[in-house]
Amino acid sequence: MIDYKKIGFKCGLEIHNRLDTKTKLFCNCKPRFSEKQPILIIKRKLRPVAGELGQVDVAAMYEYLRDRTFFYNCYNEETCLICIDEEPPRVINKEVLEIALQITKMLKADIPNEIHIMRKIVIDGSNVCSFQRTAVVGLNGVLGTSLGKVGITNICLEEESAGIVKQDGDEITYRLDRLGIPLIEIGTAPDIKNPEHAKEVAEKLGMIVRSTGKSQRGIGVTRQDVNVSIKKGARVEIKGVQELDILQDVIENEIKRQLGLIEKGETPKEETRVALEDGTTKYTRPLPGGERLYPETDLAPIIIDKKLLSKIRIPETWEQKAKRFSKFLPKEMVNQIIKSEYLEMFEKLHKKYDPLLVASTLTSTTVYLRRSGIDVDVSEEQFDELFSCVKKKEVSKEAIPEILEIMSKEKILVKDAIEETGLKVLSENQLREIVRKILRKHKDLVEKERFSPLMGLVMKEVRGRIAGNMVAKVLKEEMKK
Amino acid sequence: MLENYSKQVNRLLKNIKIGDRVLVKKGKKNYEGFLMPRADTGDKDSIVIKLDSGYNIGVKYERGMKIKKLKRAPKKTVEVEYKKIKFDPNKPRVAMVTTGGTIASRVDYRTGGVHALEKPEELLANIPELKDIAYLKDVSSPLKKMSEDIDYKDWQKIAKEVAKQVNKNKGVIVTHGTDTMHFTSAALSFMLKNLYKPVVIVGSQRSPDRGSSDSFMNLICAVRIATSNIGEVGICMHGSTDDHYCYFMRGTKVRKMHTTRRDAFRSINEMPLARIFPDGKTDILNKRYKKRDDSKGVVADIKFEPKVALLKVYPNSDPEILNFFIKKGYRGFVIEGTGMGHVPTSAKKSWIPPIKKITKDGIPVVIAPQTIYGRINPRVYTNLRILFNETKAIPGEDMLPETAYVKLGWVLGHTKNLEKVRELMLTNIAGEIAERSEIDAFLV
Repeated sequence: MIDYKKIGFKCGLEIHNRLDTKTKLFCNCKPRFSEKQPILIIKRKLRPVAGELGQVDVAAMYEYLRDRTFFYNCYNEETCLICIDEEPPRVINKEVLEIALQITKMLKADIPNEIHIMRKIVIDGSNVCSFQRTAVVGLNGVLGTSLGKVGITNICLEEESAGIVKQDGDEITYRLDRLGIPLIEIGTAPDIKNPEHAKEVAEKLGMIVRSTGKSQRGIGVTRQDVNVSIKKGARVEIKGVQELDILQDVIENEIKRQLGLIEKGETPKEETRVALEDGTTKYTRPLPGGERLYPETDLAPIIIDKKLLSKIRIPETWEQKAKRFSKFLPKEMVNQIIKSEYLEMFEKLHKKYDPLLVASTLTSTTVYLRRSGIDVDVSEEQFDELFSCVKKKEVSKEAIPEILEIMSKEKILVKDAIEETGLKVLSENQLREIVRKILRKHKDLVEKERFSPLMGLVMKEVRGRIAGNMVAKVLKEEMKK
Repeated sequence: MLENYSKQVNRLLKNIKIGDRVLVKKGKKNYEGFLMPRADTGDKDSIVIKLDSGYNIGVKYERGMKIKKLKRAPKKTVEVEYKKIKFDPNKPRVAMVTTGGTIASRVDYRTGGVHALEKPEELLANIPELKDIAYLKDVSSPLKKMSEDIDYKDWQKIAKEVAKQVNKNKGVIVTHGTDTMHFTSAALSFMLKNLYKPVVIVGSQRSPDRGSSDSFMNLICAVRIATSNIGEVGICMHGSTDDHYCYFMRGTKVRKMHTTRRDAFRSINEMPLARIFPDGKTDILNKRYKKRDDSKGVVADIKFEPKVALLKVYPNSDPEILNFFIKKGYRGFVIEGTGMGHVPTSAKKSWIPPIKKITKDGIPVVIAPQTIYGRINPRVYTNLRILFNETKAIPGEDMLPETAYVKLGWVLGHTKNLEKVRELMLTNIAGEIAERSEIDAFLV
């Protein structure tokens, strides 16, 4: 066990979370991934601009960029002239601003009287215009944790960058559907005590964002960057931890790496590393100096007045939510559903259907299916339909896992899955028919009054289509005849 | 007084200068950072502070608020000195005339303020490859204006400067704001008499402070065209949204067709003269161009009558506007007609009687197409015949309304004789009238 206090462990997090809003941050495009083919691929070059790069060697940058060509995939509903740097940005998305202010309020941070949108210089091509628009909306907040308060240094709103599709030598292709999706960025002070604590902080910040009901879902939606250092070590920034589960490993591995270097008499260097899926990290570049920010001249500052602030309601916190859920769910399930990606869905569906069934389906059933290698791909509408079928007794709740499996595998609707699996609920008469048939076939067992094997045979035939106690009842009746 | 800050903020900021490191105390809250200038937007009562994270925020003035200077701003803001490019005198000599506009602006990365370039040479600093193309020695800056403010006197100034440079160089590039660039290109087309060298007007739709600016490729292609075999005035801008090639389009047959796109400038009613790639590859797309002849000398013929109005008819339009201009002493009109050149004729507010009266008084009225594309036809419909036969309006052929406007001002600068004006307006002087309406010249 490493004594984190002793080794001078210092750690801060920066979490990035994509928001699920009607439009992108500075244009009216849909903030989502396109499933269609690009309608256009544009080709652009970038150049270093003297002055903007400060100390950076412009000549070297020129050489670096000279041969690079960037290709950008444009999509019908997810890209517009603003996304391709052919039109100035529109005013900031009000919906996003309000979500950001909600989060800021929840973290008890100061909201500036005037928010200034800045340009952060990016020259890897992931922003078509060569900068990312970003603004600080909150300062000096605080997050309560099991190991005391963790300071929140800043809460920012920014544009998501374009996603890389491929790199072929000096030709790099990006997809522009992702560019401009609103991102909330929350940075903590280096108050984190140990790797486990880091996970707690990330989890809590994630839940705060999700409590607004406006967080996108799925992999890659939340990314954590970790800043970590130890005594005699160096400050290292680890970028892009996509899964909370590996956050702890990533930090532990980095500490071990630095400790290992120190042991060998080497001095760890300040650098940026990128997180790999297995929890290890890879060197990317030396730690850059302060980020170059300059004002976005195409947009006016946003005045945050009392009237706007009074409209911002703090959403129910996850503690409050847990308390409310515990009225109808066991404690373990409350925790599961609150951390689940299906939380918002649960909120809507538990009012219409048996909350226990909805919760267990959205948590344990989906987890079980995922573990068996099935990518559960079912919309809220379809879950609604499924629960409605159960409620109407068209299908038994025991059939849910199988239906979800078929739906996800074959990309079909609930109705079709029920049809296909033959999992339609049996009427008592239908059941009786099946029981009689089996009894006729196995007269020997009937004579010996062997209930269990017979029950097994019947269940094999009707599993998932009718409740077990009904089967037992009918079987007993029929055996007596 | 710090500009754009309110009186009370200015009172508070006494003895504090932009760039000073300050501590703002407001109630229990402290904000530390550098004092920034205010733009003309936002709340004049908010003090803009650049935090150490690089972000700016506005802290609103409040009674009792305190601000303390922690450190004075560095005397001179640290700015990267642009590297002067060493040009090779063995390359073709090209002059650059700058007039202002987005292409000749720069951002102060500290404050975000946009300023005109102090030294026009700075424009070239970020484009070292220019030294392999041309010897850019003569750089002059007759004016520094955003193009919406450019007037005929500026056209005259530019024409004189360009004429001077043309005679010393293989070609001239003129950097210009894009909004009215096509007016200036038309004006230079008429004013540069006996021109047989390339005069290339170039601008940018995205300012050169960003790495994605179109200005770099536009300038490279413009300098290339300035060394080419084409002896005309034209505009050189992006041909598509890609950073792939530029078009060189004749000065009288080009128009800004989009508010923001980098390929906003389109050739109208004819193909662009050439497609130029930054590496120098050039495809001639329109053979109807004047060839370079270095033995000829250009003359700036800059006489211009500014009292010409460019008007547009539309349903319910009131011809009374003509009388307004007549009373102001206007000497010529270009009216953008609908379709093939109509004006309201039998409508309640007919334009026919006032036009008739104006031409009778010896003032020319030229009709140009508000459809932008296509040619005026004076014969097809009765109403066209009434307009052109009875009122003696001049059918502007396939001239762009803006080109017709500039041409009429230039023609009136030389003669007020209505018959002479009519003859000149119907004569192709600088490629403004195409003899043939080519099939492939639409939406290119």
